[in-house]
Amino acid sequence: MRPKLFLAVWLVLLAAGAAGAGETPPFAFDRYHDPEVVAARLHQLAQVHPDAARVHALADSPGGRPLLLLEIGPETAAPSHRLPAVLVAANLEGSVPVASEAALYLAQLLLDKPEARGDRTWYITPLGNPDAAARFFRRPLVEDNRNDRPFNDDQDDRIDEDGPDDLNGDGLITQMRVPDPAGEWIPVEGEPRALRKADWSKGEKGQFKLYTEGIDNDGDGRYNEDGPGGVDVGLNFPHLFKPFTPTGGAWAGSEAESHALVAFAFAHPEIALVVTFGRSSFCLNPPRGGRTGTADFNRIKIPERIAKWIGLEADKTYTMAEVMEVAKRLAPPGMELTEAMVASFLGLGPVVNPLPEDLKFYETLSKQCNDFLKERKLDAKRLDPPADRDGSFELWAYYHLGRPSFAMDFWTLPVVEKAKPAGADPDALTPDKLETMTSEEFLALGEEKITAFIKSSGAPASVQPAMVINAVKAGMMTPKKMAEMMKSMPKPKNAEGLDTETEALLAFSDKTLGGSGYVAWQPFQHPTLGAVEIGGAAPFAAGTPPPAQMLQLLEGQVPWVLTLADKMARIRLAKVEVTALGGGIHQVKAWVENSGYLPYTTAMAQRNIQCTPVVLELKGDGLKFLEGRPRSLIRQVGGHGAETITWLVQADRPVSAIIAATTATAWGDETRVQIGGAQ
Amino acid sequence: MNRITATGLCLMIALMLALPVRADGARTAVPLSFDDYYTYEEVGRALEALQQAYPRLTRLDVAGHSDEGRAIWCLTVNNPATGAELEKPAVYVDGNIHGNEIQGGEVCLYLLNELLTRYGKNPEITRLLDTRCFYVVPVVNPDGRHHFFADPGSHSNNRSLRYPLDDDRDGLVDEDYPDDLDGDGNICTMRRRDPFGTHRTHPEDPRLMVRVKPGEKAEWALLGSEGIDNDGDGRVNEDAEGYIDPNRNWSYDWMPGYVQSGSGPYPFAGRGLRELAAFIAARPNINMAWTFHNFGGMYLRGPSAKSQGEYPPEDVAVYDYIGKQAEKITPGYRYMLSWRDLYETYGDSGEWLAMTQGAYVLVGELYASEEENFNKPSAERKVDPDYESGAMFGDDAARTLERLRFNDNLAGGELYQAWRAFKHPQYGDIEIGGWVKMSTRLPPPFLLRQMLHRNAAAVLFSARQTPEVGLEIAAVEPAGGGLHRVTVRLSNPAAMPSMTAHARRVELYPQDTLTLASSGVKVIAGGRVTNPASGEVDFVDHRPEVQFLTVPGFSRVEHQFLVSGKGQAVVTYTSRHAGVRRANVQIP
Repeated sequence: MRPKLFLAVWLVLLAAGAAGAGETPPFAFDRYHDPEVVAARLHQLAQVHPDAARVHALADSPGGRPLLLLEIGPETAAPSHRLPAVLVAANLEGSVPVASEAALYLAQLLLDKPEARGDRTWYITPLGNPDAAARFFRRPLVEDNRNDRPFNDDQDDRIDEDGPDDLNGDGLITQMRVPDPAGEWIPVEGEPRALRKADWSKGEKGQFKLYTEGIDNDGDGRYNEDGPGGVDVGLNFPHLFKPFTPTGGAWAGSEAESHALVAFAFAHPEIALVVTFGRSSFCLNPPRGGRTGTADFNRIKIPERIAKWIGLEADKTYTMAEVMEVAKRLAPPGMELTEAMVASFLGLGPVVNPLPEDLKFYETLSKQCNDFLKERKLDAKRLDPPADRDGSFELWAYYHLGRPSFAMDFWTLPVVEKAKPAGADPDALTPDKLETMTSEEFLALGEEKITAFIKSSGAPASVQPAMVINAVKAGMMTPKKMAEMMKSMPKPKNAEGLDTETEALLAFSDKTLGGSGYVAWQPFQHPTLGAVEIGGAAPFAAGTPPPAQMLQLLEGQVPWVLTLADKMARIRLAKVEVTALGGGIHQVKAWVENSGYLPYTTAMAQRNIQCTPVVLELKGDGLKFLEGRPRSLIRQVGGHGAETITWLVQADRPVSAIIAATTATAWGDETRVQIGGAQ
Repeated sequence: MNRITATGLCLMIALMLALPVRADGARTAVPLSFDDYYTYEEVGRALEALQQAYPRLTRLDVAGHSDEGRAIWCLTVNNPATGAELEKPAVYVDGNIHGNEIQGGEVCLYLLNELLTRYGKNPEITRLLDTRCFYVVPVVNPDGRHHFFADPGSHSNNRSLRYPLDDDRDGLVDEDYPDDLDGDGNICTMRRRDPFGTHRTHPEDPRLMVRVKPGEKAEWALLGSEGIDNDGDGRVNEDAEGYIDPNRNWSYDWMPGYVQSGSGPYPFAGRGLRELAAFIAARPNINMAWTFHNFGGMYLRGPSAKSQGEYPPEDVAVYDYIGKQAEKITPGYRYMLSWRDLYETYGDSGEWLAMTQGAYVLVGELYASEEENFNKPSAERKVDPDYESGAMFGDDAARTLERLRFNDNLAGGELYQAWRAFKHPQYGDIEIGGWVKMSTRLPPPFLLRQMLHRNAAAVLFSARQTPEVGLEIAAVEPAGGGLHRVTVRLSNPAAMPSMTAHARRVELYPQDTLTLASSGVKVIAGGRVTNPASGEVDFVDHRPEVQFLTVPGFSRVEHQFLVSGKGQAVVTYTSRHAGVRRANVQIP
């Protein structure tokens, strides 16, 4: 143990002494806590609550930091878990310190609220990427999502030899702007602190080249191209993993951190819900679709060699229901054919967009989340959280693990409110309005309105209104699709060419941070580049709320996780009925109900075969089963839905039997029934 | 195969049958013998024996442990007198990743035995072993091999990793294995007399059945492989060991189980695979990798999925050169493009080796049904994607008839279990029979040795094609102004470049370096000679004393250093894949 860690543990434990036994020692959410303090806090919580909390060490990062997971719940001492669990993974990016604090806040909340942990387990890992997270607490400050694995970024003969350097000694790695005849950047008019690319087509000439602050340590003519840092743990998960990127890692799960998290999740089949604290959000908006290459179950093409064999046509498209009908006829008797099996057989490939059935709960819950935040007055307009990223944990949790996966972010820069330009049309079309329109409604707007809208949307000049109208008429384009495309386009720049994010950062820095969020450009004599200026956005300023705002942000937002947990599927026996048919033969019928909001299980889990069934057992001495097995399965029960199961049994004498429903992720139920004899 | 050879083979098997059963000790003594298959434990003893017989040339490592804790061995063959392991081009060979595909392990042992026992006797082997390093992993799936020998099974059981999975998603894990009902050690097939079944007896051989055509009267219903419904769910043998296919669980282009079954819950879920991958990644000098499977008689190259796109043409040329030669070394085997000519796979070990390690990779599918011939030369083989899936068994009646004759006349009838009556707890009166475990995918021992030798020869051919870079100071000339021009020539008479085109394209790792270092000499400029005839040079902008390059196959490149000062200098070429070369140069 490093001496500093010792000290940290000692300090927090001192604080623990002040609190009563079983009482959570206070922890101030008025500052950010480095990985060593976070680790010490987890150990402390487990120590203070030995009956309710336990620390699991999952892995060590390349930088030698532990990946810790705090288990909270009634089964911490049990060899296996019967109660469902929620997995909360925070700050996989490593550059979102508020996410780690939120995880600590949640842990405290749960330990202070026995009712929130009485019937389920919580697995919380506050630091999914501990090496990167440690950077926030080092100077000079540099924002970087990579762990400490050595990596030769510039593919030369040395490793990690040319990182950034804090030339002006302000403790921050910012940017250098260098006057250069081949420069591409010019100051923004009206906001000369910010730069934008010169537009040659408007006769503009660039003035500056931009570099990260630093020198060419290895003398190869490039600046800061091979600093310390290896793999972005947050993008090292197997769904849509991209190989051969500079920061993604050698293969999915190549890092100890990502591999350990995936292995842990699969070793714990009781995990029913996954929540990610980080930059992206599946709570404010449903997870995005619109990726190409998805297996569209409404337009399945049958490969030719299979088409001939099953009697369908290769040049037509079919719905999955149509294919299933044919496949079921051809399957050997007794074979339980699922859509997943057929999809695999036809080589339909991986699912890359949220399945429509799952989007229903995502949509409803995102509406509820927005209302939840409104009630807490945390709905002030802020920049949209960035889109989820391929290879991320939150996508993996939905697409591979098959669990409802909710990503939560806690803060982005406030949007700069602008007075509406005079004469603006209040009825003007916006992407939000467009999203809810039908094709007919869109066409009814007429060519003039559509033309104005396309112009204002910032679409390239090649997009002609007539083209769009025809595409909608032909059904090749829908208003919803169009809205999605528009939302994914780069944010329009304002009149001076200032992008929204820089504008927001400058305003926030000036108003709230006393200017520290954006370093003013100052001259500096650079050893190889000559007279340069150093300045620009301060690392972390755009994504990290000031510590003074943190408590309010956590108090207001973290409890949404408890609301989500209340939505988990819960299997119960709603009703059982025994009907005597005479001659000792009885029909036993049970209604298996999901009293939770979320479905048992997600459509994605059904597709990905990552679902265990509800197991229904009818147990009684001397029962002879005429129909139905003593151990029967129900694979799916919708949110607030119910399925029935029927047995036909023979009992020569009265039997007191038990009907039990068990699940891995949704509790279970048991009831006693009398078969035969006095009813 | 001509008649004389066939007669010879008959004699050979007669002789073999006359031999007394040997104790283990004889099989695992050096030189190793290859007249039967090695159990997992015997493979270990054979590797130890080789290591003890050649302690200077070999090192025995445990590359990892299987899910049940068995060692995955790697025997490294390198002559330290001629250079360190990592400073030589290396060939990696493994086998038996599918537990039942055992003869891949024998190819590995045979290759090791050949390299070591003939070192110092055969000049070609001696030269190879002095210039290359070999990493040989005979059994990638130790649990599979162990259970294949130890447990009752068929030729297609025990492929999987021993990673408990609920295959039938009923909440129970691995609860319905096949059962050896008649206790003969084989999981055969079950049939029941049934006039409304699907098959009738073949007119030429009562052991064989043919599918009835509409209107024909059936005699038999087929009931699948030998077993009972252990878990009472109405299905038989639906949740056996695993199932993670060890060759679908590697983390390159891995796809979840609903895209391709058997891939496991996540890439490298299997402990042994994960540890072996780390072991391989720590050996960056691997140029060529072979992974041996059975069966079908194929040498497969990637890409293994169409979506990957074709490899760069320079790499395809290398594959073609080696693959076409391997076809000739082993007549009857086909060199094929995996996704196009066989089927698509995701997360296989070959693609991982090629894509993440930058090796050239061939998958050897050992043995083909056509080698089981009788009364005529080995048949022209059909290339059929269903070979591996087992769907072909029994469907080609003429082929099966010939195989039965082969069994009766050449294998002493040991490959096929005649049908025997059995009282089944669920099905009642049935019969059990069919091809036994040690058949079908596995050549009978008398055919084993030649198969091993030819495939080892193909590996040795590929080893000779790993880059063999020569470094030569081509010229030291005055360049005016007190400067000298040093021209360095790097040549490579082998087929493989010092870095695959793929590795270059994706910047998998840094290129080779060429440096000139000296205390009295300073490098002023330098770069690659783009036109040796006119002396044009592509000068590098920075650090001319370190130049980056790749030496192509069957080719040479020249680089230049413009230096000032005088004295002795050392030119060093350093390559992950082609080793290290040094030359002294005197600047006058």
